[in-house]
Amino acid sequence: MIYDIRHVTTYSYESPVSFARCSLRLEPKSGSGQQLVSHTVDIRPRPADRTIRQDFFGTLTESVLIETPHRSLRIDSRSRVSVSRSAPGRTAHSRPWESVRDVAFEATSLGPSSPIGYVFASPLVPVQQPVTQYAAASFPPGGGILAGAVDLMHRIRTEFKYDPKATVISTPLNEVFEKRHGVCQDFAHVMIAGLRGLGLPAAYVSGYLRTIPPPGKPRLQGADATHAWVSLWCGEGLGWIGFDPTNDILVENDHIVLAVGRDFSDVSPVDGIIVGSRKQKLAVAVDVLLVE
Amino acid sequence: MAGQAGQGNSQGGKARPANRRVAQWTRDYVRLPGIPDEYIGQDGAPREVWTRFFDAFATLTPGDIERRFGTADRHLREAGVSYRAPGETADRIWPLSHLPLLIGEAEWQQLSAGIAQRAQLLELVLSDIYGEGRLVAEGAIPAAAIAGSTEYLRSICGIKPPGGRFLNLYAADVGRGPDGRWWVLGDRTQAPSGAGYALENRLVLSRAFASLYKSMNVERVAPFFEAFRDSLRAGADRDEPRIGLLTPGQFSETYFEHATLARYLGFLLVEGDDLAVSGDRIHIRTVAGLKRLDVLLRRVDSNSLDPLELDASSQLGVPGLIDVLRKNGVVVANMPGSGVMEARALLGFLPSLSRRFFGEDLKMPHIATWWCGQKSAREEVLSRLDEVAIEGAYRRGVSGFPGNGPVLASELSPAERERLKTAINDRGIDFVGQELVRLSTTPVWDQGRITPRPFVLRVFAAATPQGWNIMPGGFCRIADQLDARAVSMGDGARAADVWVVSDKAVSPTTLLPAGDTVRIRRIAGWVPSRAADNLFWLGRYLERAEATLRLVRALATAQRDPIKGTSSVLHSVERIQRLLVTWGATSQATRTQPAKLAAEALQSEEKFGSALSLVRSAQRTATSLRERLSPDAWQVITEMVERLGHEVEDDDGVVSAAELTLQELASFAGLAQENMNRAAGWRFLEMGRRAERAINTVRFARQFAYDEAGGEDLDILLTLVDCQITYRSRYLVGPLLAPVRDLVVLDPYNPRSVAFQVSALNDHIGSLPTLKEGGLIERPHRLAVGLQAMLTTAEATALDTKTLFALEQDLLNLADAIGSHYFPHGPNASRPEKLTGLA
Repeated sequence: MIYDIRHVTTYSYESPVSFARCSLRLEPKSGSGQQLVSHTVDIRPRPADRTIRQDFFGTLTESVLIETPHRSLRIDSRSRVSVSRSAPGRTAHSRPWESVRDVAFEATSLGPSSPIGYVFASPLVPVQQPVTQYAAASFPPGGGILAGAVDLMHRIRTEFKYDPKATVISTPLNEVFEKRHGVCQDFAHVMIAGLRGLGLPAAYVSGYLRTIPPPGKPRLQGADATHAWVSLWCGEGLGWIGFDPTNDILVENDHIVLAVGRDFSDVSPVDGIIVGSRKQKLAVAVDVLLVE
Repeated sequence: MAGQAGQGNSQGGKARPANRRVAQWTRDYVRLPGIPDEYIGQDGAPREVWTRFFDAFATLTPGDIERRFGTADRHLREAGVSYRAPGETADRIWPLSHLPLLIGEAEWQQLSAGIAQRAQLLELVLSDIYGEGRLVAEGAIPAAAIAGSTEYLRSICGIKPPGGRFLNLYAADVGRGPDGRWWVLGDRTQAPSGAGYALENRLVLSRAFASLYKSMNVERVAPFFEAFRDSLRAGADRDEPRIGLLTPGQFSETYFEHATLARYLGFLLVEGDDLAVSGDRIHIRTVAGLKRLDVLLRRVDSNSLDPLELDASSQLGVPGLIDVLRKNGVVVANMPGSGVMEARALLGFLPSLSRRFFGEDLKMPHIATWWCGQKSAREEVLSRLDEVAIEGAYRRGVSGFPGNGPVLASELSPAERERLKTAINDRGIDFVGQELVRLSTTPVWDQGRITPRPFVLRVFAAATPQGWNIMPGGFCRIADQLDARAVSMGDGARAADVWVVSDKAVSPTTLLPAGDTVRIRRIAGWVPSRAADNLFWLGRYLERAEATLRLVRALATAQRDPIKGTSSVLHSVERIQRLLVTWGATSQATRTQPAKLAAEALQSEEKFGSALSLVRSAQRTATSLRERLSPDAWQVITEMVERLGHEVEDDDGVVSAAELTLQELASFAGLAQENMNRAAGWRFLEMGRRAERAINTVRFARQFAYDEAGGEDLDILLTLVDCQITYRSRYLVGPLLAPVRDLVVLDPYNPRSVAFQVSALNDHIGSLPTLKEGGLIERPHRLAVGLQAMLTTAEATALDTKTLFALEQDLLNLADAIGSHYFPHGPNASRPEKLTGLA
């Protein structure tokens, strides 16, 4: 499948901003079942400097410097991506989760795809006893890792309420967990925290969902904004597999991967600092169209 | 087994009292069972260095000793040597143990060699794990032992450290184990603290016991700091680099140390807000614009250094710093990410790494540590659970268990013990087991005798082009209880100086450079904007305190005046009260009790405008200027705060406290005038004073030289602005409105007049660098020139209450214009903010 993606981020400021330094992670990844065809980012006001580098996780990160005074910053990103991946069935057989854990602990690489980078707490995902216990209910001794993760994903989908007004970016994980509500980012963080508590390597993925569902299928939650889900390392054979706890589905051809990291802080699509305005308003518009 | 010195008869009669003293001090000193001791060696006899020390010490009389201890304590108090316990807001005075820790030179050589080897090993490991990654790939270090540390910074991977190394300053906590050898207890590679306190402890003790210190041939610590400074300089890519010490600010528990080190090493003390990235470099905001900074010695933890690439919520760092490192634009010491070597998980792998890199064993052992991420080690720990302490593998505290220290399985309930075992089995990577070791004790002085107390010694190593330079001495913390498990400041611990004692005389060295190696310079560099801001406010607070004290004195004396009761004087008293109320120095004026009001304005804790509150504000501001103020100046401020903090008894007490404090203010002004370098911020202190005095004087004039003012009002005004004598010598009549107004407002020769302050301000502003191009006169200068022209041409007879009011507004505007033009919190340089929201 080929998708055309338009992702427009607009910041509006109350008073003029004289300076901005931003990091953009807006270029979809190639690999693991998807291929980037084309990509452009238009920024207004026009930056004084733009440089691209690959970060630790392999994400192409663009550093942008704006020195023109402005009241609004508009970042218009367009990508064409072809996606072709298949997920294992929800009930497929897999290795016992404990053995996956033990293999992960013995990793001999610190690289971005090594499972060892994803079994410890990260800036936005603490490893806490209550969340670990919650997840443990899905992982009986000797149970398959796939079955466990599918069950955990399903429980989050049914036991947590999707509520865009309930949380903000800085809402801590334990509050999301106690109140059982949030958005895709929160659900992904909760699932990651539970998996890591058990010693399982879980990564955070930012990306997009197709806006208009295939005929006869329901529209997916989070389709008009950037989306987030979980990538779990299921052992050397299965490798990394995507789980979307917001929609209770395994990641296949409706998901487009933007970036992978330990949690949101590693992949946030637009990040930066400004000098000048105390009040800011943010609008994000995402459109994902199926070309063919 | 103790106190053997002085038992023999061979000594001369003259030495006998000294020997008796040593015997008396040491009579009850007993080595604790199973625990080594510094004074009493393994063989049960006193160690030679200590015997030498006590023999020399005993030549001082008991009275002399107590007096010198007193001197040391007083110096600590006066210099404000302090630290802040976590969670506290007030500084505490450093408790210094009066006896140093003594280490003989031969033993020290061994210890130094072990530390130098270890520092080099950690440097090599760091450059591998952030570089090629061979150690992990080849299995010399498990990936998990590194990945678990929050100090393993992925954004540093692949960056070659500017300046060529990760570690510039390394410290190890060491203790003497039961086998008599020195053991490493932990590595400090992030931003080791304590070197500045070690320096301060040395200054205090060597001063209090100057001749004893000299006779003991103690190795100097100054050459260490010299070598450290020179090697930081050498790391920069230009000669005469600008070096900053990055502090989290005055609320950091070790802020005093940051200021001490910055002053001693000649570095700029900077906070994140003072720095900005421009081009591919770090710059410091100064009153003359951005100036390039070449080297940053950081006391801010890695994760807080850059909100763009690390902890996004940090306010302590510099946005873009990591990218500057990537572009080789600044040397940061230690390199961000160096803290990963502090993880206990790595300890067990160092012996084999030493053999791998050096082909030799570690020269100094460390405390036996088993990382439970490996099966064999995990089984070892679980089988000996009661003989080890369980610790976090990467940071202090054990995950899932309360507290910040180790967990002892033997102290847990059966259920908790099971929970611990399950946790170790499930996520062994998070835990280490460490051997329980009882470390040696050292003598502390306790009312005329010595007793053993456990201690931890921190040893410092600086990387230099000639290899690792070890500070001969260090920072020693002594526990107050015999249980030595955790010795951290805040737990009632005290610090001790550490003397490395040589057999031969040592050559004196200070940080003073040799004359021919230094280029003569006269300007000490431009003042950082924040320091200028603080100096300006220090000047304003002190001047406001002076004005308040003058009002208090006037109030307290006026009400005792014999002609009290005539309507006019009451009226003046009311006016004083009204001023104190508008300044926030007292509550609503109650005519009945002016005495109470005067006392309140003098020393109210609650009122922000009381003299006490103002000198406290001055002290707080001065705290962040510690590296720029002389110890004398700091002492004067401390004395004022102490004086006004003591409640006064009666009216006389109010008057005398006000007068004594006024004298101290005058002496601070004198110190500033005579001792502060004119280039280094003095101008801003002066500007704050002048601006505040001008504003206060106009306010006084408005209150007491209003259009219908009578003789008593004008008399009070002359007293308030200290112009009685001048007026009387100039005019033979009593106070009249126009002459008083002329003297107080317009007279350019009267150092208390408004015109004099404005003229001084104008001179200062004119001498400051201009920031903008385009040939336009800058706002503070424009306002000052305008005011001066007005005051120069005005005539006293034409002044009235209305013009005085307008003048006051103009002066307030001028003060604001100075603030927003030169200081970082003005609109021209507001602090950066994060973009918010889920984008």
